[in-house]
This record gives sequence, C-alpha cells and structure tokens, in this order.
Amino acid sequence: MGGPAILKEVLQRFFSKPVTIQYPFEHVEVEKDLRGRHYTDLNKCIGCGLCALECPADAIKMEKLPEDKKPKRNPRGLYPVIDYGLCVFCYRCVTVCPVNAFIVTNYYHLASPKKPDSRDLTLKTLSGEGGGGM
Amino acid sequence: MGATKVVEIPVTLEIPIGPQHPALHEPLMLKVYADGEEVVKVDVNTGYNHRGIEKLCERNSFYRNIFICGRVCGICNTVHANCYVRAVEYLMDIDPPRRAKYLRVLAMELERIHSHMLINAIMAEILGFDTLFMYIMRDREKVMKAKEILTGNRVLADYMMVGGVRRDIDEVKRDRLLKILDTVEREAKRYMRVFETDDTITKRLIDVGVIKPSQITRYGLLGPTARGSNIKIDARMGDRYDAYDEVPFNVVVRKEMDSWARMMVRWEETLESITICKYALEHLPSDGPAVPDERRLPRKFPPGESFARVEAPRGELTYYVSSVGKQIPYRVKIRTPSFNNIINSSFSYIGYSIADVPVILTSYDPCISCMERAVVIDTERGVRKSVSLRQLAMGEI
Amino acid sequence: MEIPERLKFLSDLVKQVYTLKPNRIVLEIDKENVRKVFESLLDHLGDTGFYLAVITGTDYPDKNMIRLDYYVITHPDKEVYVFRTWLPRDDPRIPSLIDILPAALSGECETYDLLGVFFEGNPYLRRGFFVPPDVYEKGIYPLRKDAEV
Repeated sequence: MGGPAILKEVLQRFFSKPVTIQYPFEHVEVEKDLRGRHYTDLNKCIGCGLCALECPADAIKMEKLPEDKKPKRNPRGLYPVIDYGLCVFCYRCVTVCPVNAFIVTNYYHLASPKKPDSRDLTLKTLSGEGGGGM
Repeated sequence: MGATKVVEIPVTLEIPIGPQHPALHEPLMLKVYADGEEVVKVDVNTGYNHRGIEKLCERNSFYRNIFICGRVCGICNTVHANCYVRAVEYLMDIDPPRRAKYLRVLAMELERIHSHMLINAIMAEILGFDTLFMYIMRDREKVMKAKEILTGNRVLADYMMVGGVRRDIDEVKRDRLLKILDTVEREAKRYMRVFETDDTITKRLIDVGVIKPSQITRYGLLGPTARGSNIKIDARMGDRYDAYDEVPFNVVVRKEMDSWARMMVRWEETLESITICKYALEHLPSDGPAVPDERRLPRKFPPGESFARVEAPRGELTYYVSSVGKQIPYRVKIRTPSFNNIINSSFSYIGYSIADVPVILTSYDPCISCMERAVVIDTERGVRKSVSLRQLAMGEI
Repeated sequence: MEIPERLKFLSDLVKQVYTLKPNRIVLEIDKENVRKVFESLLDHLGDTGFYLAVITGTDYPDKNMIRLDYYVITHPDKEVYVFRTWLPRDDPRIPSLIDILPAALSGECETYDLLGVFFEGNPYLRRGFFVPPDVYEKGIYPLRKDAEV
C-alpha cells in the first residue's frame, strides 16, 4: 500500500516551512554565470554590426553615436542598442563579437511597464561611470 | 438508443517559445464519440505552429536557425538544437572533440530526467493525486538548478553549436552536479515505488490503453509508447551518435503494453539517465577544446543533404537538412515524435470509458501546454459546457 | 551503387541507389510502384520488421518537379532506407499507403496541406489540417517556393 509511505512525509511537512520562495519579497539564489542583462562597452566596440546581423530575434539595432563622442576605432560611429523586449538572451552577440565588447551580468529582474533597452547602460560606459556587474 | 453526449477534447501540441511567432494556430481536437460511457469513435483535428518554423528556416542563415529550431519545443529544446547541429555537421563532415560529445550527452540526459518527472507529475495530477504532483515538482526543481549550473539557463539552454558546445565546466561545477544527481536518484527511486504499489495509481492505469506490438510498428508509434509494448526501438542504440558509442546504457522495455507500463518505462529511464550522467561526469575526456571559436566557423556550406535523428524524451525526432551551397538552407524538415504518437493513435481509445481518455492521452506524453480544455456537448439538451480534462478524468460530467 | 543485401527482393522496382549523409541509403522508385514496394516490404520483413518514420516533400520549381521521400527504419538492426520518387509539379498525384500502412496518415495529411500533393485513396485529406483558414482560403500551399506567407 503506497498510502502510508507518502502519508508520513505529508504529516512531517505539515509542521515545517513551505518550500515555496515568495519571490518579490525573498531573494532567489542564481548562478553567477546565468545569462542575464548584457550591454556593450563602448571603450571596445568598433561598430562593425556583426551582432545585429547574427541576432536570431533581430533585437539589436545599430544607432549613430552622439556627435562629440567618436573614438578612432569606430570609424562609422555606430553602436548597438539591444531591445530587451525582443531579446531571447541566447548570447550569440556576445560570442560572435570580434573584440569581446559585451559586458555580461546575471541580472534578471527585467519586468517593467515601459520597454527597456540598453541605450543608457551602453552610453554610460563611455564617460567612465557604470561598467562591471550590477 | 443513440449517443446522448458527445465529448470534444481540444489539445494543443508543441509549445514554440520564441522570437518570431506567426499567427495563432488551431488547437488539436480529439472528437470523441461516446455511447453512454464507452468510446466508439475518435476523430483527430490538428493545426499547429511549428510549420511556420520550417518556412522560417529557409530564410535565415544556418547559425540563426540553431536558435530558432531550439525554440520549437520548450521542454525538449536541447534535443532539437542537437539534432539540427548534427545534421549540419554531417553536411560539412565535421567531428567535434570527445569532450564536447560528453557534455552534449550530459545536457540531453538532464533534459530527459526533468521531462519524465514532469509527465509523471502530470499523470498524478490528472488522476487527482495532487500531493504527489507537488512533491515531484519540488524535486524537479533540483534538476532545473543542475541545468542552470551547466548551461546558464533553467529551461532554454542554448547550449549546442556547430563543432561543440558553448560553455565548458570545471571541477567545482562537476562536484555540485554530482551531489544534485545523488539526491535526485534517491527521490526518483522513492516515487517509482509509489507508482508500483499505490492503489490510487495502479487501479487507474493497469489494463488501460493496451496496444499490441504489431499495431505499434504499423501505426508508427515511437518512444516510451513503443517501449512499453515490448518493441525495442531507441535512436540512441540505432545511430550511436555523440558519446553513446562509449557510454554504457540499457534500453528499457516492458511487456505489459498498457498505460502503467508506459509510465514505468519513464521512471526506469530516469534512473538510467542518472547513471549515464554520472558516468559522463566522472569520465570526461580532455582531448580538445569543447567550445569552438564562433568567429572562425565557416559561413558558406557545401551543397548536399543530410538526415539526423535523436532520441527526444518523447520518442524519435528527425531533422532533414538540404543545402545548395549558399548561406541559408534550401529545406529543413522537422518531424517530432508527438506528431506520430498523437495523430496516428486514435484507434487506441475505442472500447474504454470516457474517464480513461485523458489517462491514455497523458501516457503518450503530448507536449505540455496541451491538456487544457474539454467541451462536453449534451445533445439531448443542446447545451455545451467546458470542463477541464481533470474533471473529466474524475468522472464529473 | 549496389542494392543492399537485405532489400534484394526489390531489385526490379528500384531504378537507382546512392547515399545520403551520414550513411543512409537512397533508393529511387517510380511513383506507380510505391504500393508494390511497401507490400513487398511487409511480406519480406514482416509486421514488426520495420516502421515508416517520415514522409518529406520538397519543392523544386526550377526542375518543375516535387520530390517525395519515404524514410523506412528497420526494426532490430535500425538501418535507415529512403525511397525517393519524383512527381510533376503541375499535377502531383500518387497512390496512398493508408490501408496497408496506417502510419502514413500523419505524413500524407501534412504533405497535402502544405505542398498540395494529392494522395489517391486517403479519405482523411483536408485543407485545414495545419494551415489556418486565412491562408488556405486563398488556395496557397505554404511550403512551395513561390508562396508568400
């Protein structure tokens, strides 16, 4: 009879803490190399556009840099902007970049009422703020 | 005395989780005609979404297709990506290093473990045994954590690449994975004993949905459905792809031919998969870099065609890829195991009562977000009402 | 290439033999002989000796043909054999296998709905099988190369 076997565990669990993690109020442990939010480091980007060509979701668009910031290694003056609503976090852009210009994090709290994209995070790297993990 | 109630059960196949989503698809409908309590005829209506993916694959490059094909099914995404990558590797005559092959086998077997635990939990839930459902799901979370350690994501592991895998593991991760596998093995043995001895389960599953071996091959049923009826077909044994020519394993076969045999085949396969994972982790070779440099892979593929098959948790999955020398393929044909198992099996419901229909359908393992709603048409009063498949299984119409 | 030993009983029906990567054997047959080939396979290999795995259709508008492949996998030794036929693109009709091998139901219904190949003798063929109504009402077969969906 299988009844009593599960019954013992049920009675034990009745008096112990539930296994459910109440997500927004409690913290969930994730791995350090979870594929989370990523953005470009403009100190390395050369504006080749390979990431936009290779993205399976077409989530990366190349946009023109603001006029006063055009480093020598980026002759066309373009930088990638990732739309996190379309992105599937496959990290194809990260692995295909010829100069390893992407900064990866394990930040995953991306639900928001307005569409998030990587423009602000990317532009901040040029002026020396931000950078590194979150 | 004609039939007074007609039951229509709509079921959806395949969850395409993905970037490019064409328009809405039709759900699969099993129109079950019942006389009193006994099923006399079943019609199958289908229409599902992954057909759009075949046309889509003809417009994207070979590398973008790896990620698209990995999103045909959420539960079996590693095996879809692996089959496509292997078909492309056959075109190019590339052989990845042995370390990459072992890591691929590890990822695919982890997926088999969590898929089998999921379908057993759903079978328990359909029967009304919610406590067992919750307990199995709690232990399944440990397997999802193992997948996260290995591939970087719990569900959609974009792990396969032409020439190897996309991430390597080190000693620390290997020890953590071995510890998780030990825990899961203990729990899986306990649940298998529950399925063998508990009256709640055995009385509903034994002698329900019996399929004879000759019917299996003539109707083309695959996977645990076939192995539960004493037909020993397994694509791992047939093709010996990736590391399966070096890792020892057994193909599980049972003789009882009913739904209970199919669920027991899945539990035994879970234990086999845990053994395979442990062997792969302990015997990882170090003969070459498991991660190819994605920037140096060739962009144009030579003309030719290839056919690869893989053992998904639900059966045998096949990919046919043909190329004419450009950067995009000419034809990609995907045949998933649920396609054969669900559409060709409408003969097996006849003669059983209505409450057995969800049990039989679940024992074929349709792809998850399937069993949703059933519509009951009461022809006497001309009233249609929707009931969930669970209420149907518990006899509440 | 030579016909493999196991299938020597089909030698008068097979026109050509070559390989498909990685080492599957392709046998080309005429479209009228499809039923004879499968009846002969059932006689010689038995009920549980093989199963029909896939039916694939490919459109070649430049050759004006549609190519149909039947993939057969034999049971204890797991060899894959491909039976390949060519159909004219303007009128693709071929006898159906559904009464001798019911496993062909899903493949035939799908190929009819997506490519327009008509299987004579199959009562279950219908247009709305996979394709949503707004496409099939225009008479489009989505997987053909000239179809814009």
